[in-house]
Amino acid sequence: MSQRFRLPSGGHVDRSKRLSFTFDGRAYDGHHGDTLAAALLANGVRLVGRSFKYHRPRGIFSAGAEEPNALVELRDGARREPNTRATVAELFDGLAATSQNHRGSLAFDWMAVNGLLAPWLGAGFYYKTFMWPASFWERVYEPMIRKAAGLGRASGLPDPDHYEAAHAHCDVLVVGAGAAGLAAARAAGATGARVILAEQDFLLGGDLLNEPGLEVWRQESIAALEAMPEVTLLPRTTVFGFYDQGVLGAVERVADHLPQPPAHTARQRYWTIRAKEVVLATGAHERIIAFPGNDRPGVMLAGAARTYARRYGVRAGETAALFATQDAAYDAAFALAEAGTRIAAIIDPRGDSAAMQRAREAGFTVKPGCVVTGTVGGNALRGVEIGAVGSGGRGDAVPADVLMVSGGWNPAVHLASMSGSALSWDEALLAFVPGAASQHERSAGACRGVNGIGAAAADGAAAGQAAAVAAGFAAAPAITLPEAPAPDHRPYELWEVKGRGKAFVDIQDDVTANDIRLAHREGYSHIEHAKRYTTHAMGTDQGKVGGLVGAAVLAEAREEPVAKVGLPRFRPYTSPVAWGAIAGGEVGQHFQPVRRTALHGVHEALGAVWMDAGIWKRPAYYPKAGDADAWASVKREARAVRERVGVCDVSTLGKIVVEGPDAATFLDRVYANTFSTLQVGRARYGLMLREDGIVFDDGTTTRLGHDRFFVTTTTAQAGPVMQHLEFHLASAWPDLDVSLASVTDQWAAMSIAGPKAREVVAAVVTGLDVSNEAFPFMAVADCLATGVPARLFRISFSGELAYEIAMPAGYAAQVWRAVLAAGAPHGIEPYGVEALGLLRIEKGHVAGSELNGQTTAQDLGLGRMLKKKGDFIGRVLAQRPGMTDPSRPRLVGLRSVDPARQIRAGCHLIVDGRSQGWISSATQSVVDPGWIGLGLLRDGETHIGSVIVAANPLMGEEVPVKVVSPHGYDAENLRVRA
Amino acid sequence: MSAPEPVHPLAGVARGRHGAAGDAPLRVSFPARDIVQVMVRRGQDAALAAAMRTAFGIDAPGPGHTASGSGVTAIWIQPGQWLLTAPRTTEGALAVRAAEAFSTCAAVADQSHGRTTIAVSGASAREALSRGCRIDLHPRAFGPGRAASTPIAQIGCLVHQTDAAPSFELTVFSTLAEPFLHWLLEAGAPFGVEIA
Repeated sequence: MSQRFRLPSGGHVDRSKRLSFTFDGRAYDGHHGDTLAAALLANGVRLVGRSFKYHRPRGIFSAGAEEPNALVELRDGARREPNTRATVAELFDGLAATSQNHRGSLAFDWMAVNGLLAPWLGAGFYYKTFMWPASFWERVYEPMIRKAAGLGRASGLPDPDHYEAAHAHCDVLVVGAGAAGLAAARAAGATGARVILAEQDFLLGGDLLNEPGLEVWRQESIAALEAMPEVTLLPRTTVFGFYDQGVLGAVERVADHLPQPPAHTARQRYWTIRAKEVVLATGAHERIIAFPGNDRPGVMLAGAARTYARRYGVRAGETAALFATQDAAYDAAFALAEAGTRIAAIIDPRGDSAAMQRAREAGFTVKPGCVVTGTVGGNALRGVEIGAVGSGGRGDAVPADVLMVSGGWNPAVHLASMSGSALSWDEALLAFVPGAASQHERSAGACRGVNGIGAAAADGAAAGQAAAVAAGFAAAPAITLPEAPAPDHRPYELWEVKGRGKAFVDIQDDVTANDIRLAHREGYSHIEHAKRYTTHAMGTDQGKVGGLVGAAVLAEAREEPVAKVGLPRFRPYTSPVAWGAIAGGEVGQHFQPVRRTALHGVHEALGAVWMDAGIWKRPAYYPKAGDADAWASVKREARAVRERVGVCDVSTLGKIVVEGPDAATFLDRVYANTFSTLQVGRARYGLMLREDGIVFDDGTTTRLGHDRFFVTTTTAQAGPVMQHLEFHLASAWPDLDVSLASVTDQWAAMSIAGPKAREVVAAVVTGLDVSNEAFPFMAVADCLATGVPARLFRISFSGELAYEIAMPAGYAAQVWRAVLAAGAPHGIEPYGVEALGLLRIEKGHVAGSELNGQTTAQDLGLGRMLKKKGDFIGRVLAQRPGMTDPSRPRLVGLRSVDPARQIRAGCHLIVDGRSQGWISSATQSVVDPGWIGLGLLRDGETHIGSVIVAANPLMGEEVPVKVVSPHGYDAENLRVRA
Repeated sequence: MSAPEPVHPLAGVARGRHGAAGDAPLRVSFPARDIVQVMVRRGQDAALAAAMRTAFGIDAPGPGHTASGSGVTAIWIQPGQWLLTAPRTTEGALAVRAAEAFSTCAAVADQSHGRTTIAVSGASAREALSRGCRIDLHPRAFGPGRAASTPIAQIGCLVHQTDAAPSFELTVFSTLAEPFLHWLLEAGAPFGVEIA
């Protein structure tokens, strides 16, 4: 395919490397060094998309990150990426690009009928119109609007690429590698400071890439930086956010310029950069002027047309007009003329200027005192209408297929603003510039209104050196700077040319000057309100080309200066960042780490079905051939415990060693019950309250020595309990001589429960008499298990005779195998968390479903545990009337009247037609088959013996249940003491 | 009877090459370590320092630092707390030594099974670690003998630089050693990882 708008030479493209690509299915060629936009223009493709709301035809408007129009979908299949700016998408061989947001073809989009409806589709139209009936909003209106408006389509498939996070530290971060940024990095790097230079473009240089005469300095600067060992260059890296304390976020497009990432290479990398000092050299964005038809394909920023000519060797059109308000934009006309484009007219509202004189000398037709009043054409610009300033109406038409617009330059102050610097108004530049720094940052070059390459480079060098000195380095000899004249950037104040037709202030969001005035009339006069009412500056370009123009239109309506109206607050992200990069590697199975007990492999070999307990994996149950379903497995395991013996991995319980002369005092304060009276070698059940008196956690705590205790917590609260203890030790009682060590990972533990437990334990343990007399309920002692040091606890959660053996985690597998072998003659079964739950519900022990952060000790029938003497955490607030109210829901046992009818946790408990509580836990009993549960019921004790209803309105179930004591199984605790 | 050897939490990990080919892979190993947590008693700092010097020949290191004596390294982990580490000998040996040495001035908790150490070495080690480690490991900010605790891949990790190669020892909770290693393999994949 011919690239008929490509110049034979010049620029930064490699004409020897021909790259093939497609756009909407048609094949084209471009060159290495092109963006997709440059390659499309080289092939004469002008129409690249349809607008967000009115489906108006749109073309390429800029040559950089500020692009509002040329949003395309790149690639196919799972790698399809919507809303990508063609102006920054690096061309590669085989790239498939597609235009978006049209039905029918791009050239004939029948949704463009929205343009005819435009008088009724102004700002706020959706809110005003689609109000009735309310139920239609979600089902009808919103899907319809979303389909009509909007941008590209996500692939809907899992992203095949991977993304990674990375952290970097430096003395000086320089953002932007134009003349100012390169000079800043060189000056800072020369001091020996650690410097990172981040540039969103794939080439370093910024506007230097448009200046062949300064190419030597650009290359010399890059070579100098590459030779500095402490300087890191990050091209293709957009710094998108400036956060507190010198933290900045950036995304590096590692492999976006390749068809797919090479093996072991991330597609994108999300950088968190911690910088002592920051130099912002982010340049400036040229701004639009609001005039009727300013969005027609062929209208583009003057600097963009210049960049296409000088950097990419591409003529943006055959015949160009320039509409400018300041001298700096005139170089675009010269650049296009050099490229062979005919300059039809230069339209300038000013009377005369140096640049206008030069333009006349060059033979261009200059129209001083004039403005563009409209554009002619359909899907492409054919002509420009010109009228005198303030004349109103439509003017004479001049043929042109490209109109270069420049309303002035907005310093890119986004990052400075995010860092906390208040912006100030520059009356000469008619733009906001950064104010005093509130963090360790400074702006340099065009982003603070210092324009022209020579001036910007000098400003950058000074900023780079100052930053390095501030970071503690000695100033180095000055670097050589480029010499270049500074064109005059001071514009004539012209924001809008009023006339018939849509004059856009935000091309991406289809927001017109009239929409801004409408917002003002309807009371949305604050810039933040106007922004949200009209969607002005809310698109992916974040108002880079039109944000200030909209503010100026609002200022006129408010009859106040723009400086007073201001801009909406800048927030991250300055440019779009893919979700993939934000998620990084923490997707799929890496979303959270998986925590495994030392017995994980053992459970796996037994075919365990897993259950997630926080980030732990625990065996839910161990299915066996012959089990009809999961319940059959669970009940088989529970029956083994009730009738014979079972073994269960309880390693996930939190374990904390509390040691020191004040350990007992400390535990008396953090537990609601007393531990200072506990004998050495004995365990006690403990209850912890939160400060507000609600139950926090429970577990057994053992006295290993006079000053040494071993605290266990529930699995779920292991971390919070440790934090709670550390917090109170550090803040409330720093005088207590106590130390805390989490030993959760050091010790694995298993529970051996059932009438035959003693026989099994006796066979595994040596060095300890485990008879009931020598080792009664709640005894604890050190021993050997299979020859390794272990600790035996006689505690029970199941309600059976039970022991827990704890051993250093590396020995857990061998002890487990020994337990299974010793238990084999007794019919031992491993049991999982489901059977554990069944057994504790039968026994009436509370667990996480009851310790739910809403219950008091009294609610759970544990009120007598609260000690009468001495203070403890939660004591005072547990005495509040609402906490001691006798009618609060109390723990009860429940049994389905019809054993075959299931009850479920979460059911309402209905008494006399009113919900009086809920079921907290439910299961099937193995001692008395049928469905049972625990629940919290108002005036629970008074209902014991009566039949009430467990209602599950979601499933339409109403099941009669009998209220019983929660402690129905072995109420005298004979079995645990056997 | 000789004591049976414990199962290492990473015993099941495939040894050999992971990730990209190349001449300068990340070298990873799982050295067996005795690890003991030492927690000073109130007001016993001087006594602890003296005991550490006498028993282990170590001047108790301050924040961010480590110090090594004859075969034992002390790593500062938080105010008043250190980890003592040494090549594994017999079960509980280091904990017994420490308990004797610090009987009146510190509490001692054996963590040999509770913590797992992963050694990482190679020219690309810093870059690989930067994929998850927020600590500045540049030679000007860190170096041999330095240590810091930080979350990496949502897992608390003690990073200890052992030499200028650079080599690091990464110590994590044993029950999280496997997902931590998976993160390390992913971070090191572009350079290649050789597990010894």
